[in-house]
Amino acid sequence: MHKLLSVILAALMLLSLFAPALAEDKVITLWHIQTQPPQQEVIEKAKARFEAANPGYKIDISVYQNDPYKTKIQVALAAGEEPDIFPSWSGGTMIEYVLANQLFDMTPLMEKDNYKDLFMDAAIDQVTYDGKIWGVPVENVAVAMLFCSKSAFEDAGLEYPTTVAELEAVAEAFKAKGIAPFALANATKWTGSMYYMYLVNRIGGAEVFMNAANRFKPDGFLDPAFTQAGEIIQKWVKAGYFNEGFNGLDEDNGQSRMLLYTGNAAMYLMGSWFLATGASENPDFMQNVAIIPFPVYEGGAGDPTAVVGTVGDNFYHISANCEHSEMAFEFLKTMMDEEGIQERLAVGKLPPVKGLKVEDPNLQTILDVVSNASSVQLWYDQYMSPAMAELHKDTSQALFGLSMTPEEVNKAMQAGIDAQ
Amino acid sequence: MVLQASSSRLNKARKREVMLTAAVFLLPALFFIVVFILYPVVHSFELSLTSWSGFSKVAPEYVGFANWKILLSDSVFWHSFGNNLKIVVLSILIQLPIGMALGFVLDLGGKKLRPLKIAYFLPYLMASVAIGLLFRYAFDPYFGIVKVMMSWFGKGAVDLLGHPARAMYAVIGVICWQYIPFYMVYFMAGLSGINTDIYEAAIIDGATKSNYFWRIALPLLKPTIKHACVLSLVGSLKYFDLIYVMTGGGPVYSVNGVHYGATELMATYMYKNAFVTNQMGYGSTIAMSMFVIITFISASTLFLINRGGDRP
Repeated sequence: MHKLLSVILAALMLLSLFAPALAEDKVITLWHIQTQPPQQEVIEKAKARFEAANPGYKIDISVYQNDPYKTKIQVALAAGEEPDIFPSWSGGTMIEYVLANQLFDMTPLMEKDNYKDLFMDAAIDQVTYDGKIWGVPVENVAVAMLFCSKSAFEDAGLEYPTTVAELEAVAEAFKAKGIAPFALANATKWTGSMYYMYLVNRIGGAEVFMNAANRFKPDGFLDPAFTQAGEIIQKWVKAGYFNEGFNGLDEDNGQSRMLLYTGNAAMYLMGSWFLATGASENPDFMQNVAIIPFPVYEGGAGDPTAVVGTVGDNFYHISANCEHSEMAFEFLKTMMDEEGIQERLAVGKLPPVKGLKVEDPNLQTILDVVSNASSVQLWYDQYMSPAMAELHKDTSQALFGLSMTPEEVNKAMQAGIDAQ
Repeated sequence: MVLQASSSRLNKARKREVMLTAAVFLLPALFFIVVFILYPVVHSFELSLTSWSGFSKVAPEYVGFANWKILLSDSVFWHSFGNNLKIVVLSILIQLPIGMALGFVLDLGGKKLRPLKIAYFLPYLMASVAIGLLFRYAFDPYFGIVKVMMSWFGKGAVDLLGHPARAMYAVIGVICWQYIPFYMVYFMAGLSGINTDIYEAAIIDGATKSNYFWRIALPLLKPTIKHACVLSLVGSLKYFDLIYVMTGGGPVYSVNGVHYGATELMATYMYKNAFVTNQMGYGSTIAMSMFVIITFISASTLFLINRGGDRP
């Protein structure tokens, strides 16, 4: 009797091993870094729509924080444990994935029924490499803008600056009132880089960086525009334009935004995703925010409409190992269907599609800036290879910390690019 | 005579049986050591001879000892090693004495001090990542508790984590906060290993508590102290987590145009190369050299401190 029972039990246990494989749906795994709850929900809703329309398929979502994700995905790719769908910021990292045969070539799917025409051309350009399309631009048209606290400007009776000289005058006025002119959390390093990128762009024009990073010109990083930008930043640091201890503060944990929310700082140069982040963190403050483009540098060669940022922010790739790549692509299409686009608008984002109708005035400002921009310079740390990006971030932090001169930074960058 | 021969045969058989059993019981452990320690070490060494990016499916290119040559002249690596040594020295100088003092007091205090025992042990129970985040906010120059404490002395905000000269010591302070409870418990265990008869005899002979500590407990704790030193040494040399969470190796500063992370350690530098800048080959070289350095230092330390034996 006992023997029979144990045999039956063993058989049941064995069966249960096979059961999930027989009954369960096909699973498509997705990683993303939209940590704010309303943004997570946008993706959750897309999942619900997709699963309702495609019985037998399930989307398995994991959410990670921005900077930890960057290393998490590298490790996963190394181990062959990457999800079916995962985001990048295009640029140098994406190119390394492509060269390593890690990405699924979605050109035929993107060209089918001219699906790619849904997107802004600049967005498709960002995911095109070697004549093929490797990703879907999804999240956000995000450009770095100067976010100003309206109340701080009104209290001090100040006008919004349009030139760098005016910006410096405004900064002096805030400093005199004991308010830090700029909120900066630069332990994260790419945050300070935004000031540097804009100054280079305004002083020397958009070509200066492109010539240097692509080695179109020898000694491109020794261009005087980089030196001048570095000098201005160090002048600002010495004058106390940035909050105390910026090189030790973390952007991911919002240590910079806290200064802005609490009135300890007046201005914040940040990607326009701040509209969405701020709306979920502190909706009251967002009523109080003015958005202005980075000021013009008098006598600089740069076009005043040029912006630094990304047309897409997060581009979703399908792994070359994905077993259901067509269905994964279907899911990406679901993320960018009419509802997906509207929901992204509602949480304060600008999905990178053509013919957007926007109601929110802040979003309209960003959209206008991007539509009129003569060029959109992708963030240096995304445009260049990961090794160069790291070098840029390190040297830029040292520049802000006043321990490297602009000339030393240029030399280090040039040596880095020459070694590649 | 016959009896003796058969009993020796029996002994042999029993011995063989014991050996066999021991081998069988050791096999699972051996399996895990081979799979999770031996194989990775050998494989890391192999990788250190390549220029593999870390995720490429393209076969890695064999570059011989090129990475090792770079490492020997890589001032950033040696600077990181120097930072590790700072942690080694300060950890032993700060954590062990405080841990021992707390352990001694709590050991003598008995049941009355039990609440303190629990309170002091709490930091060690927290995850390093949580501690890192906690102190990130505590050190915030605008909103942190450190700022409030400075204002009691009429001082303004202090930039701890963003200042290259201070960041390392700020983090070491947090590391000490995390590990002192561990050494406290470690020494409490050591103290409870001393026979209470000795304590009673000393007190009857007229020893004060301080006499007892310096002349009896401390010498008797010598083996415990030695092992604590070695534990702290090895832990400090391979340290990673709190630094990674709190500073990520930064802030970056430069000397003669070469830039260094003020809190960069061998392990964080290895991690950056292997997983951030996609130089798994070089990252593996750093990992292997850490293996060699840590093995060498701990082996020679063990040799040196064990030369005198464990006798007080």
